[in-house]
Amino acid sequence: MIHFEKFTLANGLRVLFHNDPNTPMAVVNTLYDVGARDEDPNRTGFAHLFEHLMFGGSVNIPDFDGPLQRAGGESNAFTSNDITNYYDSLPAHNLETALWLESDRMLSLAFTPQSLEVQRSVVIEEFKQRYLNQPYGDVWLEFRPLAYKEHPYQWATIGKNIQHIEEATMEDVKAFFKRFYTPSNAILCIAGNLEPDYVKSAVEKWFGEIPSVQVPKRSLVQEPVQQEYRIKTIERKVPSDAFYYGFKMPGRTEEGYYTADLLSDVLGRGQSSRLFVRLKKELDLVTEINAYVMGSHDTGLLMISGKANEGVELEQIDSEIWRVIEELKVAEISSLEHQKNVNKVRTTKVFSEQGILNKAIALCLHELFGDANGVNLENEQYDQITPKEIWEKANGMLHEKNCSRMFIKAIK
Amino acid sequence: MLDRTKAPAINPVEQIQFVAPERIEVGSFTELLWVKEVDDEAVKIDFIFNAGKLRDSKIVAELSGELLLSGTPEMTSTEFNEAIDLLGGFVNVEVGSEDATVSIYGLTTTIAELIPIVMDAIINADFSQKEFDQQLQTLKQGFLIAQEKVSTIARRAFVERLLGNTDYGRLTQLEDFSSVDRTSLVDFHTAHYLKGLMKICVVGNIEPAIIEELVQRAKYLSAEEEYSFDYPFETKPASVYVKKDGAVQTAIRVGRILFNRTHEDYIAFSVLNTIFGGYFGSRLMSNIREDKGYTYGIGSGVAQFKESGYFFISTEVGKDVADAALAEIKKEMERLATEVIPAEELERVRSYSIGKLLKGSDGPFAMMDRYLAVERFGMDLSHYDEVIQTIRTITPERLQELAKKYLVWEDMIVVKAG
Repeated sequence: MIHFEKFTLANGLRVLFHNDPNTPMAVVNTLYDVGARDEDPNRTGFAHLFEHLMFGGSVNIPDFDGPLQRAGGESNAFTSNDITNYYDSLPAHNLETALWLESDRMLSLAFTPQSLEVQRSVVIEEFKQRYLNQPYGDVWLEFRPLAYKEHPYQWATIGKNIQHIEEATMEDVKAFFKRFYTPSNAILCIAGNLEPDYVKSAVEKWFGEIPSVQVPKRSLVQEPVQQEYRIKTIERKVPSDAFYYGFKMPGRTEEGYYTADLLSDVLGRGQSSRLFVRLKKELDLVTEINAYVMGSHDTGLLMISGKANEGVELEQIDSEIWRVIEELKVAEISSLEHQKNVNKVRTTKVFSEQGILNKAIALCLHELFGDANGVNLENEQYDQITPKEIWEKANGMLHEKNCSRMFIKAIK
Repeated sequence: MLDRTKAPAINPVEQIQFVAPERIEVGSFTELLWVKEVDDEAVKIDFIFNAGKLRDSKIVAELSGELLLSGTPEMTSTEFNEAIDLLGGFVNVEVGSEDATVSIYGLTTTIAELIPIVMDAIINADFSQKEFDQQLQTLKQGFLIAQEKVSTIARRAFVERLLGNTDYGRLTQLEDFSSVDRTSLVDFHTAHYLKGLMKICVVGNIEPAIIEELVQRAKYLSAEEEYSFDYPFETKPASVYVKKDGAVQTAIRVGRILFNRTHEDYIAFSVLNTIFGGYFGSRLMSNIREDKGYTYGIGSGVAQFKESGYFFISTEVGKDVADAALAEIKKEMERLATEVIPAEELERVRSYSIGKLLKGSDGPFAMMDRYLAVERFGMDLSHYDEVIQTIRTITPERLQELAKKYLVWEDMIVVKAG
């Protein structure tokens, strides 16, 4: 159970506070409701590039990290297809330093040309390091456009290509800030051993005067229901063949999300899961195989992926994967197999919510979904799912017309 | 009107509380450490064995670890995983150079059932031929994939030069995958797991009776001697380039043999390292990432061994700027030796480092790590008081002296791969 209080400032900023009496640290987590899905198709990678620019100085403070370090703190951020999240950790008694810095960059950035030039190069190096210069590094650059034809999930957070990052202009940067970095488009969470009244007045002091801006409602093209089996094979200089299957599934807040999540666990979470036992332990076809959900806010993907064993054809793996899937559609899983997956979810949740930073991020995310308290109701959600619902889900979504499949063939 | 150009007042961290775990003797060379102040249901248990890669060929140690929880005469690997999963548990085996760690993750309500299943699997591991063959394939594939990364290529070349005359420098080669057999694993298991348990670390708010039972079970596995980690560490400066066709980035490793926590200069050097490449605002990051944009990230650190340690710099940079990046690294090293560190920068590093220490001591899991980090060298938590004292009082002159002594470009092994 993560306890919290919630209040909203006049400018629309939603604020959550989690009191933890056992830590000397405080966390300031700021989630902006903007991700790669909000980008112009001809200017991709922008939300992430922008995240880098948020550390390049704000309107009244030339340097973000220096003052935080002087207060004994540090910070970082991440961007996904759905959100951009910034976090600061520091000794609790210096909380105001983080509020000062975080509020000033919400007010406005410095927009220095130097910062844009340098971060452009840094992000291009990141693109190379993570996506181009690694075996299998470009999987998502190739797979996303196969699975999504309309929705902006068709590109990765890093962007479609390096050119888009090279072409970003200061005008783009300013427009992006104006459009998305406003109080009513953000959720703030403060966590630590702090007095609620103090937190309220300090947040009001630093964030209260940021002007309220009406954010245009997001209206993304939703992905039409898939009607055909999509197949793609690419050749790469990698040591082994690899396979990727993506089945469309409900978005994070949609009916059936948790059921699809448990379905992925039945298929391929851990070493007693069906795919692992059959394809790896019994038949020796693969060296690794996993199933998992992407957790996307809009229509998402249940993924099955893995690598072929030496000398095994991908076609053989393919028919065995489909055989395992078909078995799931015939009979409901036993209550024991079901309980196993629910138990694993429970343990994972306890460990993933260790520490105030993880708690703060989880609260912000659930507030974005509609109610921060949702984080405390997740176990109940999983508990209510029955083997019958999983069986129905398997029948509803695990078929070819709902699937995109990509093979990577290894070449010398 | 709020003056936003003025920073709020900052207060220093007054003190950091370090709490030692409870210690319970398991055998003459084995003990259990327990941190029970956990405010939720999470429980983690680590079993640390004298089964690191130093103890045999690297591949034998790795495979023994990977296959440790892969079945017994009574239970197949799938039955084992089924039993753990049913309890919502997670297990993991990590094989390092000096030791191997088996971890159990569970909840207060399930841990008592998880422990005997895992311990039985460790004790009775039978390394069946089928499991052996499968794991060998998996490991080999992972090896081949890693060989495609410039970071792996650079790290291997660096380790070979730096530690080639010690067991730490032995690297797995492709041939090893065809020469290793399961008998060597059985022997390794007998020597290093069945008589090699050195430590059990428990973090969790569990019943003392569970701990007592754990201690009783573990006695059987207790280590029977202390182990040697003594090797002739010395750096022979070198410059190495490994070509990788098609690479768009070049991986760089620079470093030298140094020392570990027990050395009189360790704490002070750690402060110097923070300034040089140990945090986001470091000289290397400020120059090579935030000014030149040559890389996504660059850092330096001190890796510690039981009897020694080494200093290293690590980064991946654009292929066409690799030499320029190396020139900047050299320049930053020399600046620390020739110029006095400005007061503002040193004050920032003092505050940052104390804050980092506070954060790294926050919560029961962090506290166990803190304790192990000193206990490994026969030291106690009072070491951290010395760390705090040094961070607060070290002078720019002392830092410059250390840079002159330890950060000399000509003493370094320099590796490029790409």
